[in-house]
Amino acid sequence: MKCELCLELLEEYLDGELAERVSSEVAAHLVTCSRCLTESSVLAAEEEMFSRYDRELEVPASLWGQIAERTVVTQLPKNGFGARFVSLFRVPSFGFALATAVALIVIGLVVGSTYIRSRKSDPKHTTVIGAPTPSSVASRKDEQQQNDVTRPANVFASHDKSKTRRSPAPKRTPIDQSDVLSSDFGYQDPDDKDTAKHIEQTQNLLRSIRNVQVNDGDHEIDVTYDKALSRRLLNENIVLRRDAEMKAKFPTKSLLSDLEPFLIDIANLPDQARPEDIRAIKERVQKTEIVAALIGY
Amino acid sequence: MKRLALDELKGEGQPGRFAGTLMNSSGELVTRVCQGDPEAFRLIFERYSRPVIGFIYDMVSDRELAEELTQETFVRAYRGIRGMNRETKLSTWLFGIARNVARESLRARARASRHVDLEDKSVLDLSDNEPVPVERLLSKELNELIRLALNALDEDKRVVFTLKVFHQCSYEEIAGITGFSLAKLKTDLHRARAEMRRRIKPYAGVGYEV
Repeated sequence: MKCELCLELLEEYLDGELAERVSSEVAAHLVTCSRCLTESSVLAAEEEMFSRYDRELEVPASLWGQIAERTVVTQLPKNGFGARFVSLFRVPSFGFALATAVALIVIGLVVGSTYIRSRKSDPKHTTVIGAPTPSSVASRKDEQQQNDVTRPANVFASHDKSKTRRSPAPKRTPIDQSDVLSSDFGYQDPDDKDTAKHIEQTQNLLRSIRNVQVNDGDHEIDVTYDKALSRRLLNENIVLRRDAEMKAKFPTKSLLSDLEPFLIDIANLPDQARPEDIRAIKERVQKTEIVAALIGY
Repeated sequence: MKRLALDELKGEGQPGRFAGTLMNSSGELVTRVCQGDPEAFRLIFERYSRPVIGFIYDMVSDRELAEELTQETFVRAYRGIRGMNRETKLSTWLFGIARNVARESLRARARASRHVDLEDKSVLDLSDNEPVPVERLLSKELNELIRLALNALDEDKRVVFTLKVFHQCSYEEIAGITGFSLAKLKTDLHRARAEMRRRIKPYAGVGYEV
């Protein structure tokens, strides 16, 4: 092999990219040619120098949390209509814009048809659960917001129509909504039952974390169950929060948003958590009075 | 950093330091992610986050931006993993995404501040120094020297050089990541090495010549 060819192939030879036969030829030439050997040594020294390059770069501990928030924790159950429906809203797919448009049209149609029905209906047949008299609307609104734990919204009737009142019944179906404004939708929506159940479970989880006894001698606390539960609730929470946002139930959405950081923290605990981690979550639960807010819901 | 990244890359499917990570082959992890196992994606992140953030940092030369772009890379990877060609190596696929993310960011930055002459900067910053043997350069100085020289390369040369020299990718892998032909890749790599040598040699003169 000539020096000219050897020098041309030297980088590929050192990169280990030459075919075996050519590589042997280069190696044989290097044994006999001091000039090419020197060039080879310079290139090898360069590689060695670059191998010392240290970016002094660490992967921040928070990076996975941020990625998980955008990926893993937003993962939805694979089966079921809800999952397929919500999966349409994943950005940045084209489906997002389309699905949003469809959702807005559906909401508009539902709200519009309800409004039209409410205007056309006969006031004598109006039936509203817990509808207040016109004079007490304002005061009851506040009262109901504070006291009504099982129902997420108040039911109002318009001022110029007569109303009859029926004692509250657990069944939901035969309710005539002709005199009910759109804000009543929260009651009839089956999702509210799910939200209430979800909030109750989350409340229990946060209570159990709040009530964990952390002793000075503890090195680790087993939170396997709480962690698994928190992961499940986190998935649920994201779906319900988006649903609430879609349906313009902003208080519900806000409450669910407040819950998420707690669920993420618990979900990210190791199975054998350190006492200080548990203590930190406990303190935040107490400080933010999130459990009280959940009870208020 | 580099050695760590390499260890992690080379350790695909072998038992090692991160038992939880390395007990699973990349192919198995991808399958598990596709089946909806969120833990599998965390393991992929653990295994590849260091090489990916290092590669992106080499491309953009900005720590905070590298973190942001690493986040974006893994988010895109998660969203696209079901469409991944199973015959492609996971590391190659991830580096490909990272390269696209970094390139988009570089172009956006270039549009924002029309032209920053990195070449001049690299020369000015070190021009007062006398040539010093590489062995005597403090590691910080050497790092800075390499970083500035790397910054002065154009984008194509930088990506090829980084993948080959710092991440020990094969030519075939680099072609898979960048989409370059083998001929272009070899030319770019040769020129990148020559430029790096030209920029570093004046400051690491004596010891540089072995």
